[in-house]
Amino acid sequence: MKVRVFALNAGLLLVGGIVVLPFFWMILSAFKSNSEILSFDQSFLPREWTLENFVSIQTKLDFFRLFFNSVLLSVTITALSVYTSLVGGFVFAKYTFRGRGALFAVILSTMMITWAVVIIPRYTIFRSIGLTDSYASIIIPAVISAFGIFMMRQSMDSIPDEILEAARIDGASEWFIFHRIVAPLSVNAISALSIFQFLWVWEDYLWPYLMISSEEKQVLAVGLTTFRGQYGTDYGGLFAATTLAIVPVLVVYILFQRRFIAGAASAALKG
Amino acid sequence: MPIAGVNVTYDPNTLVNDGKPIELDWWAWTNVEQFQAIADAYSEIHPNVVINVVNQPWEDYWTKLPLELQSGGGPALFNVHNSQHENLIANMEPYDIDPADLEADYAGAASHLIDGETHYIDLGLMSGAIYYNTDMWEAAGLTDADIPTTWDEFREVAKALTIRDGDQLRQAGFNFNSGGHTMQAGLAYQLGQNLFEADGSTPAIDNEANLEVIQRFVDIYADGSGDPDFGAAGTDSFGQGLSAMTYAWGWFSGTLKNDYPDLNWSAFQTPVPEAGETPYALDRYNGESTFGINANASDAEKEVAQDFLRYFLTDAESMKELSLIFSVFPAYKPIADDPVFAENPALAAFGEIDRYIWPGPIPATFETTTATMWEEILFNGVAPEEALAAAQATIEKDLSGKDFVSSEGLYAFYSGN
Repeated sequence: MKVRVFALNAGLLLVGGIVVLPFFWMILSAFKSNSEILSFDQSFLPREWTLENFVSIQTKLDFFRLFFNSVLLSVTITALSVYTSLVGGFVFAKYTFRGRGALFAVILSTMMITWAVVIIPRYTIFRSIGLTDSYASIIIPAVISAFGIFMMRQSMDSIPDEILEAARIDGASEWFIFHRIVAPLSVNAISALSIFQFLWVWEDYLWPYLMISSEEKQVLAVGLTTFRGQYGTDYGGLFAATTLAIVPVLVVYILFQRRFIAGAASAALKG
Repeated sequence: MPIAGVNVTYDPNTLVNDGKPIELDWWAWTNVEQFQAIADAYSEIHPNVVINVVNQPWEDYWTKLPLELQSGGGPALFNVHNSQHENLIANMEPYDIDPADLEADYAGAASHLIDGETHYIDLGLMSGAIYYNTDMWEAAGLTDADIPTTWDEFREVAKALTIRDGDQLRQAGFNFNSGGHTMQAGLAYQLGQNLFEADGSTPAIDNEANLEVIQRFVDIYADGSGDPDFGAAGTDSFGQGLSAMTYAWGWFSGTLKNDYPDLNWSAFQTPVPEAGETPYALDRYNGESTFGINANASDAEKEVAQDFLRYFLTDAESMKELSLIFSVFPAYKPIADDPVFAENPALAAFGEIDRYIWPGPIPATFETTTATMWEEILFNGVAPEEALAAAQATIEKDLSGKDFVSSEGLYAFYSGN
């Protein structure tokens, strides 16, 4: 038994190592010169450590402005979409009304439509109502998350209806029940969804790029692509900027990680 | 202030937009600082005008810009790449400059005429050269006198620059891995073979000239002077100091400067088939284009854009700087003889500028299909004759239904196939 456990752990460690290796390779490469990054004779550790890539990203990219823009959008959208998902999940999990199943199916079906199909009509709509080059154009489409509603409904299904009934008998309003009972009991799912949502917004590229024209409003994911030019890529600058760009994602993950796995698991297992 | 320019002229002593404040956006994907400096210099003459150069990522620029233009929006000014001609042309305002003046001042301007109107021209012309590692050159006992002018001489130089350790290739004399198709599209011209038949639409790939070009480079590898497995890309292998010579276009000098600053290199003109004979053409070229003006812009924006265009096209110093930064031979004739271009090895390697052909904004299938053809030859052992026939069939199929017409007919020395 011990041998099997050891083998399993060793296997998982190996797979984990393979998965995170490119990540560490990128971080270490951020300290290499471009010629060393492109060298035929590669080494994992930099032969000559340099901070030049980090020093120059602000002049090449206005990194901190883009970073702030991305943080602002990611936090705002995450907060709003988690809240609307909680509301949607609560309604579908705890209320019975005509067409509930059909409506939920419609919401789920929106997850099946590929991005490429909707992007041009959506672009045309936002342009025609004059929302280009505004953060509203980024926030509005992301406020309602079909995945979030699905996840919250799955999570709230496990909350006994008796608790809600008892609260109602005690005179609690639906508003109170939602905010003071259901939401706190959904903290695992909230944590998981927050991580997912933050990550999606943080890394979203094409929609912000299409919508935002002003450089001062642009997001970091778009800024990073400017390191890739017509005839070549500034890998050192790209790796340095990307290394810094993953810090907020790590912070969010560390903040929510204790609840994350439980939340993701509960959403996945409840039917 | 003095009037600038030769045939295309710019008078800075006039008001634009009646002196009223106006702001324009100008989208670019590279060299934003240089473009902004030109815009700022213009604003010094016309303080009521502000032009903001907005940096855009290269790849998705070609998604966003057409979407913006087709929806009636977009920046007043935008940089153009001729490979995206079809995507943009319907929304581009014609230049308000006499085409004859443009042609008099800018090489190749006539090739951009559409129904008597010009929407963009080339600010510089880019083509191929042979880049060589000067340290390896010296170590092999070669001097400037050994710079080859013919392909036969080149083959011998490649042998001299090759270093082997038993069967192991240590230093390739010549490496064109991943770049065979780039040479393919240009060097058949040296043998008098156009890329299209006389109708301008039928591709001309499967022919004796292309076969000769392929065989020439296959033979160099067969000599042992290179190997398909010696590095994925000849340019990378050259940069890493593993290959002594490679073929690349002007952009490569920027790559070398940025990525391999310690490498000692120079460049020489692409050899020709016969010593002392000017071939039909030296190579294919492509241009770095001037900016486009948005047809959807307001009348005031267009007026300012047209005025700025004249300023831009007559600003010799900026044209010089842009040509050097882009590593392109300047299309602006008044600066073509400036000694500064002779100091840049990649630009000095150009031959007679009139002896390069622009086939027009050719569909991407030419490059992708001939790239596959080279892989078939080098890695799958397909005979060059068969590979050429397959490439011809693929390109014909890809072009069917498209109304592309080659610009080869505009070449000054054009002769139909």
